[in-house]
Amino acid sequence: MSNIRLIARLDVKGPNLVKGVQLEGLRKIGDPNVFAKEYYDQGIDELIYIDIVASLYERNNLLEIVRRTTKDVFIPLTVGGGLRTVENVRDVLRAGADKVAINTAAIKRPELIREISKRFGSQCMVLSIEAKKVREGKWEAYYDNGREKTGIDVIEWAKRGYEHGAGEILLTSVDMEGTAKGFDIDLVKAASDAVPIPLIASGGMGNVNDMINVINDGCADAIAMAHVLHYKKLTIQEVREYAASRNVNVRRLKLWSR
Amino acid sequence: MERIGRPKMINYSMFELNETMLNAKYGLPSEIKYCRSCVISNQRPNSTVEYQHTQKSKKETIHFDEEGVCDACRFAQSKNKTIDWKQREQELIELCNKYRKNDGSYDCLIPGSGGKDSFYAAHILKYKYGMHPLTVTWAPHIYTPWGWKNFQAWLNAGFDNFLCTPNPRTHRLLTRLAVENLFHPFQPFIFGQKSLAPKMALLHDIKLVFYGENEAEYGNPISDTSTAKRDWKYFTAEDKSKVYLGGVSLEALESNFGVESVDLLPYIPADPDEIERKKVEVHYLGYYLRWHPQECYYYAVENGGFKPSPERTVGTYSKYNSIDDKIDDFHYYTTYIKFGIGRSTYDAAQEIRNEEITREEGVALVKKFDGEFPERFAEEIFQYLSIPERDFPVAFKRFEQPMMDRDYFMALTDTFRSPHLWKRVYGSWKLRHPIYEE
Repeated sequence: MSNIRLIARLDVKGPNLVKGVQLEGLRKIGDPNVFAKEYYDQGIDELIYIDIVASLYERNNLLEIVRRTTKDVFIPLTVGGGLRTVENVRDVLRAGADKVAINTAAIKRPELIREISKRFGSQCMVLSIEAKKVREGKWEAYYDNGREKTGIDVIEWAKRGYEHGAGEILLTSVDMEGTAKGFDIDLVKAASDAVPIPLIASGGMGNVNDMINVINDGCADAIAMAHVLHYKKLTIQEVREYAASRNVNVRRLKLWSR
Repeated sequence: MERIGRPKMINYSMFELNETMLNAKYGLPSEIKYCRSCVISNQRPNSTVEYQHTQKSKKETIHFDEEGVCDACRFAQSKNKTIDWKQREQELIELCNKYRKNDGSYDCLIPGSGGKDSFYAAHILKYKYGMHPLTVTWAPHIYTPWGWKNFQAWLNAGFDNFLCTPNPRTHRLLTRLAVENLFHPFQPFIFGQKSLAPKMALLHDIKLVFYGENEAEYGNPISDTSTAKRDWKYFTAEDKSKVYLGGVSLEALESNFGVESVDLLPYIPADPDEIERKKVEVHYLGYYLRWHPQECYYYAVENGGFKPSPERTVGTYSKYNSIDDKIDDFHYYTTYIKFGIGRSTYDAAQEIRNEEITREEGVALVKKFDGEFPERFAEEIFQYLSIPERDFPVAFKRFEQPMMDRDYFMALTDTFRSPHLWKRVYGSWKLRHPIYEE
């Protein structure tokens, strides 16, 4: 079994790292580069940058932040938000990103998934899904940072995304995001049962047990954290040590050798 | 007695591109300007005394200073810089000490809906400042499911509450009249929102009423805020013969529309003499505590079960403010038609003042969302605005077309457009001077 990856998710708006609750009411936290460097130094496995208002404003201005980050952060970096074309993706990868996360543009034109994975490889095509619970066992995909409904069933969409060539899925629960009340485990389980590609669970982590639950019961391949890190409720070291103590395969690293 | 006729055909020539005789309705400024700091325009009316609001009323509008900055922005700047909030909190503590009771009775009254702002106000007064509040709520026209849940979550955070629901038949009639006469579907709600709290305070012998934010935050004259006591005129009408609801006098409502005086009880404000005699004081918590809407949202989520709506509100980008009444979408649609100011403009202006977004972002949001037609609840609202004979045997006769439908509403909409704001371009309506074309 491969390692469970620990990922710090950084939502960015303009020059600021921000954090919402259920993707709403975005609070300014600080300079994203400072936080990214800090998480890297603490030993995070990967970083995700999402410009969460890019689609809303139809703009994309993460390039500069990506360039600055990749100067002193040497772990896989996924970048999303407002990427609409293969050219947008190329620019982000050239700026130093390793993978791209696509939501809005893929919903509007699913062929984009295939175009990106064909051109750059499926390993770099992360399908980002914002899932809102409709009822027990049923979720609807949203876009524009949890603002717009699609009528599309999340599990069906995950399957289609996989068929189109997505190499990974970033699955965010709109209901749990920012609440620190735990992941939507049923959602993660349903999606991970439906597709064979790696699945990053995002939204709701409030403590280390939430992580264990979504790994053991939800079969997540990776954990995205934001609230607990940004508000300094947990360190990455604490998370990693706890995971190891509960027999979860995580990367064992000699910290501080960096 | 004449009937209320179907909307008249409008004269399209007034809305032609090159028309120069551009009359401004409602006493609005004829030249449209936008605040240099936020996105509000000089067309934004101040809060008025709704009891005197008729078809002939002229609006007073938001004041811009010589640098082209609106009063609301100036207020926000002073709030952020010049006000000594420690001192203000001390004033609040003294106020609470003066009124606090420990004899098993309520010591303050807090009106609210259970939205993020009233959640914050009630919760912090009870749990931080040790007060014993009674909360009162004036029901929305039609609850949204999430609005009702948030209302319940508020009470579950530990509050007694009286919910006042006006007779829905009367409320529907008044709403229809307010739409016909003033294009102001939200007006019947405003009556109760402003008058319920003082009346309930008198009824329960509570001397202290707390409102949340000060209205000056949104651009009523700054002089209003020098004292936290709410201007009496907003909720006291001294002579009841001067009172209009939905632009119709009380007398006409009773004689022409089959409304009994008892039906109007919920809308009649408190007697100012009695308020004075019983020494009821009305204060804005926003005077004492720095009000930050987004932090109220966080507070309500963390201290209760507040949830944003499950979808973006029509006409804007937000999900967390003013989400409990299905008529709200129409309220902001009508302000867009009458003043060129939709919900996104109001939301963005507020967020710019609170430094959540930049003006550039605000302009983009206005361009993207302002004025969106409120499709999601439209059919339900048209039914609500209809006056069928079975429910309204008298009022029914006073409408040429009692049943509201989409065609009627759209025709009515056009009669409220002001030529100085609107133009016709290839058969569709455009603002003459939108902020994104500045």
